[in-house]
Amino acid sequence: MASGNMKGYFKQKKSGGGRGIAKPKPSKKSTKIQPTHVATLGSDVVQPSTLSAHNLQDDEYDGNETVLRQFDMNMAYGPCLGMSRLARWERAQRLGLNPPKEIETLLKQGKARADCLWDGCV
Amino acid sequence: MEAMEIDAEKHLQRKQSLYESLDEKFRIEKETYRGQQYSQIYFARLHMMRTLIYSLIPNWKPHLPVCTVLGLEEGKECIIVGTLYKHMKLKPCILDEYSKERSVAPLVKPHNFMHSDDSLVLEDESGRVKLGGTMLLPSVYVTGTVVGLHGKETSAGEFLVQDILDADLPPQIELPLKSREDKYVVFVSGLSVGSSTSNPLQFQLLVDHITGHLGDEKEQGIAAQIVHVVIAGNSVAVPRGLLNGQNLASKDQSRLSEPIKELDILLTQIAAGLPLDIMPGPDDPANFSLPQQPLHRCLFPGSSAYNSFRSCTNPHSFELENIRFLGTSGQNVDDLEKYSEAKDKLEFMERTLRWRHLAPTAPNTLGCYPFTDRDPFLIESCPHVYFVGNQDKYETRLIKGSEGQVVRLICIPKFCETGVAVVLNMRNLECHALSFGTEFSS
Repeated sequence: MASGNMKGYFKQKKSGGGRGIAKPKPSKKSTKIQPTHVATLGSDVVQPSTLSAHNLQDDEYDGNETVLRQFDMNMAYGPCLGMSRLARWERAQRLGLNPPKEIETLLKQGKARADCLWDGCV
Repeated sequence: MEAMEIDAEKHLQRKQSLYESLDEKFRIEKETYRGQQYSQIYFARLHMMRTLIYSLIPNWKPHLPVCTVLGLEEGKECIIVGTLYKHMKLKPCILDEYSKERSVAPLVKPHNFMHSDDSLVLEDESGRVKLGGTMLLPSVYVTGTVVGLHGKETSAGEFLVQDILDADLPPQIELPLKSREDKYVVFVSGLSVGSSTSNPLQFQLLVDHITGHLGDEKEQGIAAQIVHVVIAGNSVAVPRGLLNGQNLASKDQSRLSEPIKELDILLTQIAAGLPLDIMPGPDDPANFSLPQQPLHRCLFPGSSAYNSFRSCTNPHSFELENIRFLGTSGQNVDDLEKYSEAKDKLEFMERTLRWRHLAPTAPNTLGCYPFTDRDPFLIESCPHVYFVGNQDKYETRLIKGSEGQVVRLICIPKFCETGVAVVLNMRNLECHALSFGTEFSS
């Protein structure tokens, strides 16, 4: 257990999974970052609020990370664990699934996390 | 009386064929392991096969709706596409090792794990559903095949299968009809050099026949028409008793490498005369999981000096004069035999072609590399010749597809046990056996 970075440790754990009980905070930001072009199968009700609620608490993760997480969780593109996000995007592209171009640009810019949200946590 | 005439020196030219290797998709050097599990390869398989089966549905039953497993409604007739999972109670499970009722008898005994209680389940990304009815026989199908099913959900929550859609044979490039000359390909497997059952004289006879050192002019003329040799696995039998975790004494080290050296000497004789492909098998010094990577060149210092010597992957795919060959060293069919039944090995082979997948039981019961972006065992183009090595006996059949595809299926027997190699005539895809014996009947 890291003694020096306790706050950072807990911070990491919470936002790393998007799990846990979320108190949805009413904010204009949450409605803005819900992208309409990323299709999510099922769980439309639960997902956005959990993800965006945690995002608001952390300065590290912005709207870009939420978009990428939606991409990670989207079943149509297959499992996300064990692949880098870019590799998964390229596979989706190659299989003809037409993943959104924005994800590719985000990942190639290099500012976002290269691995999926579960990476290192499972 | 005339003196015996010495045959005038005739130069017999060996025929040649244009060769192209298609093994690129079976190489794993460029792959990186990033902790992925097998869900990735199953996803790639399901996606590619499902897209294909969706395109076949309009020709099969266009009036029925297609839905996902989770989208099933009770009583509504529809088509679902997914990966089959066969639940087998006799299939060995790693957890059995920890079971308290374990007896002294070894856990993995039966050679075939089938049971009358086996049941099938269909799975896609959304969920799985138990399959019922009598149309889908659990004895025929195995875990990992992707099929389309027509049926409806019952009140018990099962999916009652009314009809099955297999992908069937993939499209095949037509062979030109122009008359070709007789050119032969020799297939051999299970040489097991170094084992107690292998007979060095038998193998030497085979090599001498292929290279034209046996027989009279007519015999040599026939041998000159052999253009290619394929060795389908299990070429060497490493004395495994030495590999017990202890350090090897120097004399044991040389004992370990003797079979390979012996094999190299014989392969050099072949490679000096004609192109040779050697594939790894389950007993060879290669990696365990499919696709097996080519045996290293350093194992064959003599033969690898020739550019006619090619070390290939298992499975192996190549083209000789536009005839497409595809084959394995036997693991795919042997594994199918453990988890399903058929009237003969050729029927297993035919099923893999109709399912368009070389090894559907991989990675479930057959070791396989965890690919993420593709499934290299999917058969996209129908081969003209499909061979499987290390079988118990020589068998062959010609099968036909619904779109005019013609495939020659060959089961290559173990040479160390049978002394039989297989010869294929590329002109008409006809096969015959070449058997060598060293026992003189009295």
